[in-house]
Amino acid sequence: MSELKETLKTQIISQLSLEDLTPADIADDMPLFAEDGLGLDSIDALEFIVLLESNYGLKIADPSQGREIFHSVNSLADFIEKNRN
Amino acid sequence: MNGEKIVQFTDENWLKACYQHLALDYPKFYKMDNLSKMAVLGVELLANSGIFSQIDTNDLELLFANSNASQHTDLKFIDSYTVAKNPSPSLFVYTLPNILTGELAIKHKWYGENSFYISPNFDAQLFATKIHQAYKKGVNYCLCGWIDSKLEANSTLSEESFLFLVALNEENASLHQEIEQLMTQYNQKEKE
Amino acid sequence: MQIFITGLGAISCIGQNVEEHLDALLAEKSGIKKGIHPYSQRYLVGEIPLSNDELIAQFQLKVGGSRTGLLACVAAKEAFSGHAHHPEIRTGIISGTSVGGMDISEVHYRNFMENHTHDVAQYSEHSSGNSSERIAQELGVGDFITTISTACSSAANAIMLGARMIRAGKIDRAIVGGTDALTEFTINGFRSLMIFDEEWCRPFDESRKGLNLGEGAGYIVLESEKSRRISNSVALAQLKGWSNASDAYHQTASSPEGYGATLSISEALKVAQLHPDAIDYINAHGTATPNNDLSESKAIKTVFGNSIPPFSSTKAFTGHTLAAAGGLEAVFSVLAIQKGYLFANLNHKNVIEETQLQPVVKTTKVERVRNVLSNSFGFGGNNSTIIIGEL
Repeated sequence: MSELKETLKTQIISQLSLEDLTPADIADDMPLFAEDGLGLDSIDALEFIVLLESNYGLKIADPSQGREIFHSVNSLADFIEKNRN
Repeated sequence: MNGEKIVQFTDENWLKACYQHLALDYPKFYKMDNLSKMAVLGVELLANSGIFSQIDTNDLELLFANSNASQHTDLKFIDSYTVAKNPSPSLFVYTLPNILTGELAIKHKWYGENSFYISPNFDAQLFATKIHQAYKKGVNYCLCGWIDSKLEANSTLSEESFLFLVALNEENASLHQEIEQLMTQYNQKEKE
Repeated sequence: MQIFITGLGAISCIGQNVEEHLDALLAEKSGIKKGIHPYSQRYLVGEIPLSNDELIAQFQLKVGGSRTGLLACVAAKEAFSGHAHHPEIRTGIISGTSVGGMDISEVHYRNFMENHTHDVAQYSEHSSGNSSERIAQELGVGDFITTISTACSSAANAIMLGARMIRAGKIDRAIVGGTDALTEFTINGFRSLMIFDEEWCRPFDESRKGLNLGEGAGYIVLESEKSRRISNSVALAQLKGWSNASDAYHQTASSPEGYGATLSISEALKVAQLHPDAIDYINAHGTATPNNDLSESKAIKTVFGNSIPPFSSTKAFTGHTLAAAGGLEAVFSVLAIQKGYLFANLNHKNVIEETQLQPVVKTTKVERVRNVLSNSFGFGGNNSTIIIGEL
C-alpha cells in the first residue's frame, strides 16, 4: 500500500505538472484540494479522473464522486485498492 | 525591459529558469501553456519595476494578440486523444489564446476589459488603434502584449513575447508617431 | 452616434438562413440530435446536415477550405446581401472563432503522425484569422479585417469592436459576428472537461447537467447614419450598448457570484444609457452547465433586483455554438424586436432552487420588445454583453 502511495505521488506530480514539488512534499493525509493543502482545482480533479483511468483502468462517471475519492493520497490509494480487481 | 537586457536564458527550459530567477512562488505557473507562462513572466518583469503600484489597476485594459492562437497546445491536445487516447482537460483549457489574459486577470485580480486578436505579424497599427479607442472610452492604462508561439517549417518552436504598458493622456503623441515608436521598439527587440 | 443593424445572416442546426431560424424558434423545434460523424455519433449535438461540398454548391461559395470559413461565408453572405459596394463606405469585417481551421489541421496532423510527412503549409488554415479573410474574399469587401479569439464571447466582442470602430470614425459599416464548426477536437475537449450532457441540455433547470455542442455562424451588419444615407439600406434595429469585463476567477469556470457577468451587464446598460427597466427580454448565455447558469442567474438578480425581465437561453435549440453563439443570438435578438416575440427556453421543468428564476418556457407573442440584452461568456473569464433596441 505504501508503495502504491509513493507511486501515486509521483504520478500526481507528473500528471498535474507540479514541478515545484517532490513526493516528500505531499503528506499521505494532506487535503489535496484545500487552499492550505495542495490547492488543486476543478481541472486538476478532472486530470485525476484521467489518471485513474489510464494508469489503473478505473472509471469515474460522475465528477462529483471525485471530491471524496481525491481528498488525499490515502483516500485515493484506498479507492484503487478496493476497486482494482 | 525598456530595451535593456535583464537576463538571458538559452536552453529549452528557459521559461522555468526565468520563473525561478524571478522567485515567483506561484505554483499554478507550472500548469500553464507557454503563452500564459510568457505573459505571466513578462508582466512580472514589469511589476518588478513597481509600475503597477503607481497606477489604478481598476482602470487597466488588457490588449493582446498573436499570429497563431494556441497552435502548439492545440497539437499537443490532439496528441492526447489520438495517441494517448485520453483527452487531457488541462491541455484543452489552453487551446484558446485568450486564456492568457484570463490567467493575468486571475493572478493580479484585474477586472477590466480584455481582448485577444489574431494577426499574421506584430501589427503596431492594430495596437495603436485599440489604445486610442480605449482612451476615448475613458480608460487610462492599457497593458498590451504580442505573445507568439509558432511552429516553424523545421518543426522547431519559435517563441517571442513583447509587452508594453501604455499610460493614456492628452499629451500622447499622435497615432502615427505611436505606431512608429512601437515598431521601432519591436524591431529593436528582434535584433537581440 | 446611432449604430444601425441593417443585415442578418445565420446558419445552424435549426436553419440555413434567418427565416428558417425564425420558423424553428416559433415552432419551438430544436435541431439537437445524435451526431452523424464517427467523432460525434455518441453525443447529442447541433450539427448542420450539409457536408462542406454541399455548403459550397448550395450557397455558391467562391472558395473552399475549412468548414469554419465556409459557415462564415454562408452567414456573412446572407447578412450582406442587398448591400451596396461603394467607394465612400469603408467596410470592416470582424469575425470571431475559436475553432478556426482546426477541422483541417486535425486531419493533416493525423496524416503526419501516420506517414511522417510534414508539410507545415497544410496548417495555413489553422490560424483563426483565416475565416475573416474568407468572408472578405467571398464578399469582395474589407477595408479593415480582423479576427477575435476569445472563446464563447468572440462574436459579441466582434460586434462590440465593430460598433466602436464606427463610432470612432475608422469605418462606416461592419460585418460582425462569429463562426465555429463542430470538430473532433472540440468534442474531445469538452468531453475531457466533463461538461457535456448525455441527454438534451436543460438551461436554467435545477437538474441541468451540461451542454450540447453545436456549430454555426451568425453575422449582422452595422452601419452609421452616413453609411445608410449612401447605401440606402433598411434599418432593422439599433445596437445600443456593449461591454466586456474580466471575471478573474478561473480559466474555465465562472465565479460563484457571477462577478464578471454583473460587471458586463451593468456596464452595457450604462453604455446604452438605459435603466434596467427598459430591458424587455434577456437572451442569456445559458449553456446549461451547472456552473454558468447559476452564476449568470446571480448576476441577473444582482443587476435587476426584483424586476427581472423575461429571459431565456436559446441553446436548447441550437446547442452551444461557441464563438458563433454571440452572433446567432444577436440575430435572434433582432428578430425578437422586429416580430415581437420572446423565445422559449426549451426543455425546462424546474427552476434552479437557489435562485428561483423562471425563464420563458414557451415562445410568446408580445405587444412590443423595446430592448434585448444578450450575454456571451467565454472561457478565460471573458464576459461580454450587448444590448439591441428598437428603432
